[in-house]
Amino acid sequence: MAAKTRYFVLTAAGILTAGLTTGLVASYMGGLPVALSRQAGPEDLAFVPPDAIAVGYANVQEVMASELRQRLRRLQDANPDSQERHDFEEKTGVNVERDIDAVVGALLPASGDKEGNPLVLARGRFDQVRIEGLARDHGGDVSDYEGVRVIAHTGDEKTMALGFLAPGIVAVGSIESVKGAIDAKRSGRNVMSNTEIMRLVGELDGNNAWAVGRFDAMASSTGLPGELQQRMPTLSWFSAAGHLNGGISGTFKAEAKDDEAAKNLRDMMRGVVAMVRLQSDSKPEMRAFVDSLQLGGEGKTVAVGFSVPAEMFDALEKMHEARRPAEER
Amino acid sequence: MTEPAARPAPLSTAAAARRVFDLSFGEMLWSRRTIFMALVVGGPVLLAIIFRVVEAFGAPALRVNGARVGGGSVFGVMIWMLYIRFIVPVLGLFYGTALMADEVEDKTLTYLFTRPIPRGAVLLGKYLAYLACTSLVVLPSVMLTYFLTVPFTQVAGTFRSLVLDLALLGTGLAVYGAVFAFVGARLKRPLVSGLVFAFGWEQLALALPGYLRQFTVAHHLQSLVPHTMPADSTLSVIQGLFRQTTSVAGALTALGLMLAVFLWLAMRTVTRREYVLEQ
Repeated sequence: MAAKTRYFVLTAAGILTAGLTTGLVASYMGGLPVALSRQAGPEDLAFVPPDAIAVGYANVQEVMASELRQRLRRLQDANPDSQERHDFEEKTGVNVERDIDAVVGALLPASGDKEGNPLVLARGRFDQVRIEGLARDHGGDVSDYEGVRVIAHTGDEKTMALGFLAPGIVAVGSIESVKGAIDAKRSGRNVMSNTEIMRLVGELDGNNAWAVGRFDAMASSTGLPGELQQRMPTLSWFSAAGHLNGGISGTFKAEAKDDEAAKNLRDMMRGVVAMVRLQSDSKPEMRAFVDSLQLGGEGKTVAVGFSVPAEMFDALEKMHEARRPAEER
Repeated sequence: MTEPAARPAPLSTAAAARRVFDLSFGEMLWSRRTIFMALVVGGPVLLAIIFRVVEAFGAPALRVNGARVGGGSVFGVMIWMLYIRFIVPVLGLFYGTALMADEVEDKTLTYLFTRPIPRGAVLLGKYLAYLACTSLVVLPSVMLTYFLTVPFTQVAGTFRSLVLDLALLGTGLAVYGAVFAFVGARLKRPLVSGLVFAFGWEQLALALPGYLRQFTVAHHLQSLVPHTMPADSTLSVIQGLFRQTTSVAGALTALGLMLAVFLWLAMRTVTRREYVLEQ
């Protein structure tokens, strides 16, 4: 074998060996060292306990500034609900569109046979004194937990709480979840050490709203009827991501228990998507949406991507306008 | 009067194939055809580098209808659209049909056939050289593309499908190579017939309902792909609608049978056929 041929063979074999070794090490360790990869997700995940069942995120400022939101706002301004928004702002000093930058939501496992504990973390600008005063007026108890001001209010079934975790970060949820958020940040044991969730979060960076979670645990924590749970496909994890601009585009990804279940689900979805495509000719207004449907996934995953274009909202707006009584127009 | 020198004993098929492999591997690797192969497999690597650079600057490299497409999905699409549907059949076609045709065209076949080796071993050795040559170019290209597109955080979760991809592409090269080696040994204009088979017959049979798809390499190969088939064209949608995947065992058996039968047929053809070298 000539020298140049030998070098070529060695180089090619070297690339293959290095790649396979890296992959094997990563598979064995459950991931590559963090130093090699950028931390995924917003920094507020540091407040989410490691055993979270589901985590979601919304970049409120991007969503509010989107064309779609402006379009919905025009419709909402004529809605009586808009008065409630003004009342909320008057009482709390919080204008959701202006004062909240981002929201992280999480569902934490429940104790006993209760439903899961919700936790919402909002980052923005809050008037702590005004909110605390309002809570006291409504029977809230203000206490101190690990140096953090926590306002608790006991209702008929649950004790809900609000905590000012750090400047510009407020946690709202059950008392257990708010205390869990404080503990997570203090101890450093948070959802960022949950490799399964962070693996999914890493795939969703760049979207202005997303959610990931354990499907089976969520189904039981959210109180889905047992019969319905049994009929659900054998899914273990799910992730959903959306991007709002003029329209909405998004992807939904689910991980099945095994390759066979995923393959069956993909085959079923492929058939449905193909049938919908073939029938979309009779509904031109749905054509853009149907054309945008993309089926993906590999191994144990099934993914569906979609896009609702701005033109479709134009059509819906016209339909809404046409249905309104003449005197309201 | 001196005794005539004893003639060396003819080599066995395996030993002869190994000699032909040694001879052909270097020639094949540094032939002009390899430049074409380098360009073909360099395409996905180049696309992956562009993807990685754009992602490194924090911008989404690829959006479909506004939604960011992750590296894992991009790699899956590359495996389907570039490697499985294009690179593997094309390399199998160009190299497989040329195994004997090149020797006929260059009028060098006589030198091989006058050696004391079984004729079938000539084809077998050249086929093995093709397989080593293409595998050593295609598989590292897939490896580079994978690590350039898939983020490090997702390596653990997707590594298994990469190993499957590598095995699958190796199998694809082997089967397509055997099929086109037979075409090259049997037909006079093998390239045209091969193109019709790979991009005419196979595509058509996959889009038709019924059992015709069983007579294609693509159907069995695509049944093993761990990534979802992209619906990128009308033909893909129709193929997806009528797609019936074979079980893993069924697909592997069919591919193994095709490989053995076509390689045997190719060797048999080379052994029996009388090649006429045009002057």
